[in-house]
Parts: sequence; structure tokens; C-alpha cells
Amino acid sequence: MPVDTKRLRGPEESQSPWLFVEQEQQSPPDEREDGRRKGQVDVRPIFARCGLVSQAKGSAYIESGKTKVICSVYGPRETERKDETDMKFGRLVCTFRFAPFSCAKRCGWIQSTQEKDLSMALLGSLHPGLCLHRYPRSQIDVSVLVLENDGSALAHAVTCASLALADAGIEMYDLVLGCSLRQEGSDYLLDPTFAEETQEPATESTENRGGMMVALLPSLNQVSGLLCSGDLEQQPLVEAVAACIEGCQRIYSVAQRCLLTAVKKKNPPPDG
Amino acid sequence: MTMTSLQETDVLSSVQPITVHVITIGRLASEACAVNMSPWKVCVPGERLCSTEVCKAGSGTYIRHSFIFASLAGYVVKKNEGEELPVISVARETEAQLLPDVNAIVTCKVTSINSRFAKVHILYVGSTPLKNKFRGTIRKEDVRATEKDKVEIYKCFRPGDIVLAKVISLGDVQSNYLLTTAENELGVVVAHSEAGVQMVPISWCEMQCPRTHAKEFRKVARVQPEYLMP
Repeated sequence: MPVDTKRLRGPEESQSPWLFVEQEQQSPPDEREDGRRKGQVDVRPIFARCGLVSQAKGSAYIESGKTKVICSVYGPRETERKDETDMKFGRLVCTFRFAPFSCAKRCGWIQSTQEKDLSMALLGSLHPGLCLHRYPRSQIDVSVLVLENDGSALAHAVTCASLALADAGIEMYDLVLGCSLRQEGSDYLLDPTFAEETQEPATESTENRGGMMVALLPSLNQVSGLLCSGDLEQQPLVEAVAACIEGCQRIYSVAQRCLLTAVKKKNPPPDG
Repeated sequence: MTMTSLQETDVLSSVQPITVHVITIGRLASEACAVNMSPWKVCVPGERLCSTEVCKAGSGTYIRHSFIFASLAGYVVKKNEGEELPVISVARETEAQLLPDVNAIVTCKVTSINSRFAKVHILYVGSTPLKNKFRGTIRKEDVRATEKDKVEIYKCFRPGDIVLAKVISLGDVQSNYLLTTAENELGVVVAHSEAGVQMVPISWCEMQCPRTHAKEFRKVARVQPEYLMP
């Protein structure tokens, strides 16, 4: 029997590929696209490392879902601009940038107004956590670069920046952890993805829809920054803040472990 | 006060993760350390170390509600210094960034001189190198303790000299750190002659070039023997 050697022959038995397609499961109505639940304190898994940027005094990298943030800290160094407050307290300078390739739409190199606003929010959240009175006449530079923005960039930038500051050996009252939330009517989506942050609402009503970012000093249990946009009533607002605080506490142990590893890697135990 | 601290503990212990899949070991830092069997306890900023009744706060810590908290990530060191309470501090091998403080002895390099003052870059505080340069000024009247009005800056310093000085003030808005060399132990330690050779001090105000034997004026420091390298 002539055999066609140029082709792959099919198996003798074959089945329809449709048999292997998974049956579409009926997902529960409160399930989000990535399998998390609405209305639950469910943060995305976090990967954090310290000390990647060798030129910087301290640095940190954080990855949560597809959101990737890198932060480096320089200083304390001499202040360039001087005014009276610099004499007693150090100056904290924060720069928040999106890498051009980080967002769905390519963004420019020149700092946009959104990035400036986020820089201010970052500064406000980090400021209460730092012992700036220990650094008179000097300046500490914190620069955050978002490598990929898949939602909650500011919240992760806050966490990442505080890890970098701790890695740099800047004295702090406490770590600063950030968590964000998206309120959709009566439900909230904790640690929203970019799609969830920007999606079109299912209903027309604008009631109780908004975004929130909370920065927390976890062991002092104080809120150091709160950024809220949109239209929220009192009850959902209070619940949202509570959810964000719990979300921050959830990532505390990850941040702690990241710092402990960094300390052990960097310094051998002291003698005596 | 104790109430607050108790609440804080409650918050901490309630952190135990319930549904998060990342956190495999949800222990507090201290417990995590014990798992690794390291004799040194590592802490992170904001961790409560102990009560002020047990220890005194050292470097890298701060006091809040009569408890000592860590302000640095590093190793917890408890030292008994003969006093009633041991001193607890947080140590990092890379010294916590020192900044020039009043009365600190600094090593600096002269960058420029004029008839009223010498400008310097501060390089070391004590024996710790600074990562970034800080600028300082030695005014004419702070060069030496006696005959202040007869001081001539160019007979005391030259650009490039390495000078030991003491910080007298952090300066105000316009000025930088103000330094003084008005002590026997302070002044020029290393200077090069016009021939480019390192000079040898011959008196408190003169140095000589070993090659050309030319004498140059400097405000020479009498370096204490314990600071000299063996």
C-alpha cells in the first residue's frame, strides 16, 4: 500500500475536540474576572523584594497581579532649595512616574498632571511615617516608576516606597502600606485591576460609585493618607475605609518578611 | 496608655491571614526570626521592642506611649553599659546615615578660599564616610583661637587640603554648615606643596615640602596619636 511520507498521518482513533473543551461553569454572580469575590477583603498575591537598584541608597520592587512597581530612594543629601522649615526637618521629595509602556495607552516622558497629583498623594501618605526631624537640612528623594499598571498603582507605590525607605535605613515611625478599593453600588472590589478601575458601570445611577486609596501605618494602626474620588454615601464610605485598612493589614506580613530577608542578606549579624 | 498598647497588640494578632494565598506563614517578625534559629532578632520599623521600664532607647528607636519602637530595619542589640537599664538599639552594618551635627568632628576638603572664609566639602563625620557631599564654611574668625583679627585665610588653608574641623552650627537659611578649627587638634592634616608632594608639618603654622624644602603656611592640626593609623 502506498504511504504518503510527506504528511503526518492522523491517529487511527480520533475524537472530536469539542469533547475536551471545558464546560462553561456557571460562575457565582459576585465573582470577579480573576476569580476573586466582590465585597471581600481579597488582595492579589504580592511579590516584594528589596535592594535591586545598586546605585540607590535603598530600593524595592513590588508585583501584585500584573501591576509592577519599582522604587528607589536617594539621600539624605544636601537640600537644593532652602527655607526655614528645612532647618529643623528634612525635606521629602516624591516623584511618581508611569513608564511609557506601562499603561494600555502609551504615555509620554513628560510628567503629566495625573502623575503630579499622584506624586503629591504619595508624599502625603509617606510623610507622617518618617522621622524627618532626624534629618535637618537635608533632602530625601523617593522616585517611583510604575512598570506595568494593572490597577491600584498608587496603593502599591506607597507600600513599595516605604519598603525602599526602610531598606535605605531612613528612620521611620512605621511602615506605610497602601490598599485601594473600587466601590460599585453596594459592592466593593478590593485591590481593583485596571479593567475594574476603568470599566463602564452596569447601571446608569452614579450613586455610590468611586475609588479609594488608604495608606496605613500598620503597627500604630493610624491612617496616614486617604484619597477618595466619586460619589459615596456615609455608610459605604465607612465600610470601604474599614475594608482598605484590613487589606493593608493583610499585606503587612509580606512587607515584614521582605524587609527581614533584605536585612539578613545585606548585613551579617553584629558582633558582641 | 496600656490600653492603647493592648489594642495595638490585638490589631497585630488579628492580622493572621485567612484567605490570602501569598502569605504562607503569617507570623509576626519576631516569631519568623525564631523559626530561622538565628540568635539575632531582626526588626522592621514600627515594631514594638519593649517598655521604657525595661530598657533605655538607643539609636534606631523612638519612644511612644512609654514603649520603645524600632525606627529602622535591622538587628536588635541590647547592651548593658553599667547603668541601671540596658540600652536597646537597632543596628545596621551600614551605619545609619549620619549627618553632621553640632560639635561633631568632621573631615573635609577645602574647595575654595577667599579673604573672608574657606569653603569646604564635608567628607567624613567622625570615622563614618558620608555618601553625599555636604558643603561647609570655615570663617576667618573661626580659624584659630588666638589673634583672630590677624588671621589670613590664604596662610591657613589652600584648596585641596584635608582639614579636621568641628561643627559649630548648622547655619541658617543662607549659609551652610559653619565649622571651626580653633583648637590645637583641629586644622590641616594633609596638604600638598606647589611641587605636588605631600608636605610634613614643622610647626603649628608651617609645613615643609620634602622635595623642594619650600615652607608653606598652614593652620596645622596636632593629630592625636590615637587617631593615627598604625
